[in-house]
Amino acid sequence: MKVYSRFMESLRSSRFTVSGEIDPPKDANPAEVVEQVEALREHVVAANVTDNPIGDVIMCTLATCVIMQQHGLEPIYQATCRDRNRIALQSDVIGAAALGIRNVLALTGDHPRMGKSRDAKPVFDLDSVLLTRTLSTLRSGRNLSGEELAHAPEFHIGVGLSPGVEPIEAEIIKLEKKIEAGAEFVQTQCIYDEKVLERLREETSHLDVPILPGIAPLRSLGMAKFMLANVPGISIPDEVMRRLESSRDLKETAIDIAAELVSAAKDYGFPGVHIMPVGMHMHVGEIIERSGVR
Amino acid sequence: MIHTRHKPLEEILQMLSGATKVAVLGCGGCVAFYRTGGAAQVRELAEKLGEHLQVVSLGVSNRQCYLCREEELSGLRDAERIRKIARELEGFDRLEEVEAVLSLACGVGVQNLAGLLELPVYPAQNTLFMGRRRVEGDFDIELCVGCGDCVLGYTGGICPVTRCSKSLMNGPCGGVFNGLCEVSRATGEEIPCAWVEIYRRLKKLGRLEELRRIREPRSHAASGIPRRVKVQEGAG
Ligand code: SF4
Ligand code: SF4
Repeated sequence: MKVYSRFMESLRSSRFTVSGEIDPPKDANPAEVVEQVEALREHVVAANVTDNPIGDVIMCTLATCVIMQQHGLEPIYQATCRDRNRIALQSDVIGAAALGIRNVLALTGDHPRMGKSRDAKPVFDLDSVLLTRTLSTLRSGRNLSGEELAHAPEFHIGVGLSPGVEPIEAEIIKLEKKIEAGAEFVQTQCIYDEKVLERLREETSHLDVPILPGIAPLRSLGMAKFMLANVPGISIPDEVMRRLESSRDLKETAIDIAAELVSAAKDYGFPGVHIMPVGMHMHVGEIIERSGVR
Repeated sequence: MIHTRHKPLEEILQMLSGATKVAVLGCGGCVAFYRTGGAAQVRELAEKLGEHLQVVSLGVSNRQCYLCREEELSGLRDAERIRKIARELEGFDRLEEVEAVLSLACGVGVQNLAGLLELPVYPAQNTLFMGRRRVEGDFDIELCVGCGDCVLGYTGGICPVTRCSKSLMNGPCGGVFNGLCEVSRATGEEIPCAWVEIYRRLKKLGRLEELRRIREPRSHAASGIPRRVKVQEGAG
């Protein structure tokens, strides 16, 4: 199997791989992307670019990825099924590949009812399994209409996983289908509980694909409570809540907690982590350093 | 069954503006069954409209979607047409006098009637969905959107096209929350996740292998254009 990206090269090596995440701005200011790129560049191999989470309009994934490349950070292009049918999705990722984007993450996407564009038409022509297979088909040199592509797009295909959802069996069956459809790496939703890491390890031990647990620093007790109420399947141990509650320096506590999870992920044998900095881009280096994984 | 909901009176009056004599017509089908467009609702609406215009005739047809076909009327002059239609509309005798008809049927009934009459026919209701299956709290739920490519055979008899908010084909998305669909958090309603229901049902039936199979993308060629079917001779 060919390696097209630094990210995949790192996953195939014995190095502990850390991916990050860029939050595109809602306006047309490239400097906001550049600032995040500069904060992450030395610390992560590649970083995801979100596709209008919960349907709130932000700078498009493709433009953000290109800005990242211009500033030396490898992008992982997140494609969701929410706004684009199979025509637009194929067209977009072919364009992305032509611009040198070498990692694509296939996601279902949130329902538009979840955000500020609640009246928008939900598309979902494909789902994450079918988008994954579509990416594989394109890479093998055909499009969904069966036409041959003389120059097939070259990228690695990733998928998401929500480790805490019930029933977990249904989630794992879906992951198995994504792998059958061609998924080469997995990044998960945020995990705050080592027990969830442990369970994830057990549930996926039969799968031969690198899984990067998602880790996002908890900036405040308010954020922790918000996540508990809004992120499906999330669990935050009481002890973590207590540490946030009694913290004298929230930033330090957030970095500590995230660093401990990164090192736990390594201890459980995961090949890396996916850090979603949620505004703490400046501190990602610190999180990795304190975790001692390098 | 078809579910409907009354339009606001202001909107109905707006549609009827210009007409002084109107007929109000209920339907004996789904809307009578659900008491949104049967005899009592016709009387109620006629009473309210009576304060603003003259309601000359009111009644409940058998089912507005059953009404006679265009070909049975062809060659008939308008007055005869109206009489023939009126005969099918039980208790609906003075159709010849009115300037407009207000129908409490679903969108199918309204369009069927409108296609048969020269008079303007207006909808008194918004047509919501096809559904049944009473669940807790006396809710009937939407069950089918008529997608033209039925997958119920692979999903334990639970329709993901209709009952998964994203019409997904290959299992639950990451948004499922305590067995509820993610949109429940936005709407405040408890909408079950169709894929959790499908998973549980298939597991119970010992047919989880259906869930393990990658299902093809649905063909929208079966539903994206105005559809028609050839009706068998002697039927319908
Ligand atoms: S799959 Fe669903 S929407 Fe399509 S025909 Fe069957 S029940 Fe109706
Ligand atoms: S939560 Fe369940 S019903 Fe809702 S969109 Fe996801 S899979 Fe569909």
